[in-house]
Amino acid sequence: MTALRPAGAPPTGDDPRTTAPAGRTLLRVGPAVVPLRRRPVLVAAVLLGLLAGAVVLSLSLGRPYVAPLDVLRALSGAGTPYDLVVLELRLPRAVLAALAGAAFGVAGTLIQSVARNPLASPDVIGVTQGAGLAATVALTTGAAAVLVAPAALLGGLLAAALVFALGARHGLAAQRFVLAGVALAFAFRASTEVVMLAADPIDGLRAQLWLIGTLAGKGWSEAAWIGATLAVLLPVLAWAGWALRSTTLDDDTARGVGVRPVARRIGLAGTGVLVAAMATAQVGAVDFVALVAPQVARRLVRAERPPLVCAALLGALLLVLADLAARRLLAPTQLPAGVLTAAIGGPYLMVLLLRGRRRAR
Amino acid sequence: MLSTRDLVAGYDERTVLDGLDLDLPTDAFTVIVGPNACGKSTLLRAMARLLTPRRGAVLLDGTAIRDLPTRDVARRLGVLPQSPLVPEGITVADLVGRGRQPYQRWWRQWSTEDGRAVDTAMARADVAGLADRPVDSLSGGQRQRVWIAMALAQDTEALLLDEPTTFLDLAHQVEVLDLLRSLRAERGRTVVAVLHDLNQAARYADHLVAMRAGRLVAAGPPREILTADMVREVFGLDCVVVPCPVSGAPLVIPALTETPPAATPAARPTTDDAESPRVGTYPKGL
Repeated sequence: MTALRPAGAPPTGDDPRTTAPAGRTLLRVGPAVVPLRRRPVLVAAVLLGLLAGAVVLSLSLGRPYVAPLDVLRALSGAGTPYDLVVLELRLPRAVLAALAGAAFGVAGTLIQSVARNPLASPDVIGVTQGAGLAATVALTTGAAAVLVAPAALLGGLLAAALVFALGARHGLAAQRFVLAGVALAFAFRASTEVVMLAADPIDGLRAQLWLIGTLAGKGWSEAAWIGATLAVLLPVLAWAGWALRSTTLDDDTARGVGVRPVARRIGLAGTGVLVAAMATAQVGAVDFVALVAPQVARRLVRAERPPLVCAALLGALLLVLADLAARRLLAPTQLPAGVLTAAIGGPYLMVLLLRGRRRAR
Repeated sequence: MLSTRDLVAGYDERTVLDGLDLDLPTDAFTVIVGPNACGKSTLLRAMARLLTPRRGAVLLDGTAIRDLPTRDVARRLGVLPQSPLVPEGITVADLVGRGRQPYQRWWRQWSTEDGRAVDTAMARADVAGLADRPVDSLSGGQRQRVWIAMALAQDTEALLLDEPTTFLDLAHQVEVLDLLRSLRAERGRTVVAVLHDLNQAARYADHLVAMRAGRLVAAGPPREILTADMVREVFGLDCVVVPCPVSGAPLVIPALTETPPAATPAARPTTDDAESPRVGTYPKGL
């Protein structure tokens, strides 16, 4: 048997002969060493391919129809007669859908992992509803249009702060945190209804549309906000991808291996809330992507918790497809993308609930 | 070396330990015994920094562990809680690998040393053959050895275990205790466990710590301190102590009671939540 290393000696991470743990391949980038399971890498590659396909499809379908080859040519900057349609009308919206979907997937993964509960996505625990309430107030009180997104962002963050404060006892214990969020979500939704009923009907209708979530009429500027948020948070997300591991351990075991579980939960959930609030502020309350993407990704990679990268890709794929369907199903009438995601997510939520109940028995 | 100074700890309103001074010998297997709710698990949890003391300190080589970064403590002191939760679907090798957490960073998630420590720990706890199996498909005895392997992969000089034999049948209890004793024998390591079975404690411990009502009653080698008087004082139980015919260690045999033992209600506190098994969080399938 090999002798164990004396305590205190520095670990050696840069040894090129390092062998990967069972069933994994080591990915090295400079001094970084990350063991990767093959399945998530494969799933991510497939999802990336599907996402690219979905984006091309959404740039191609519509009136006028642009052949996929012409879409690719336009994207490559070759200069085609379709540049206006593809690059200026459809591309911003497709990119926004992909970024917002990825953001929802990331946010859902972080919050569900911390809460150890597949139901605990930002659209269930009150972040989305808080953003919705703030946006409704902004839309119905005649605030300038540019203020709606910041108001929604602030509303989402405040809602999350309230959920954290209520769920904070016992170190943000999973159950309590979720219950506080669900209760607050109802309260926010009820308040939103009251504000809408009291408002001018036209404003109420605009608020209604915002609450369902739509990408119509949105583009580069919204995409830039979400993209910038994700880019700034990239180091945090890289940390989160690793730190999420310990969320599957109980608190005592986690402390035993040198993790501060409460601090880590706050960091992870806080990051998730920030991403969710930013995305919601830009595209409105697109429900269920944050709920569904992490759980489906988890089943695809067969892991003990939702995988961050795959959930982001799946979220992007879902929203691009949902927005495409929303645009085309009843064309020329445009449906809000939120209707489509809800139509997919609702039944899925019921399956989760039924399955959970069966297991609890 | 692990010691406590004037340690006061408890849960919510209730003070369980009230000013405990204790020194645990290095390179020895220490077993803490005592009746239910005597504070033995509380003591172990406080020493493993799973519970913050209200007053006093737990010292690791003279430094209060509260003043050390938790990651540094985790490289020197490992802990196996009473009923840890098994992450759904995780494999044995992955779970044992979690013990390497204090040596890893998000940008350096694996090293040669990690691989070596995991292999060594799995071999030592005899779970190498199960490496690719999901932990939730294992038997209770196998599962406990996997948890011990995870603590071993942490590669610490001290290892604290909270009732590591609870929920195991007798053969698996002996297997786990043999493993724990051999750990300190082959590599000077401080192993501390809370055990319920006094005879197992007497047989396996180098150092026995007996507690009652949050106080230390006796500490020392079992052959020296385990007497009928001590058992009466600690557990409120009349007994005979004879040398074990197999190991020569003290063997506690409860006296015959035809009528219920008289006048010892104070010595038999009822079980409370802090010490009863955490049924709710116990991994399913056991």
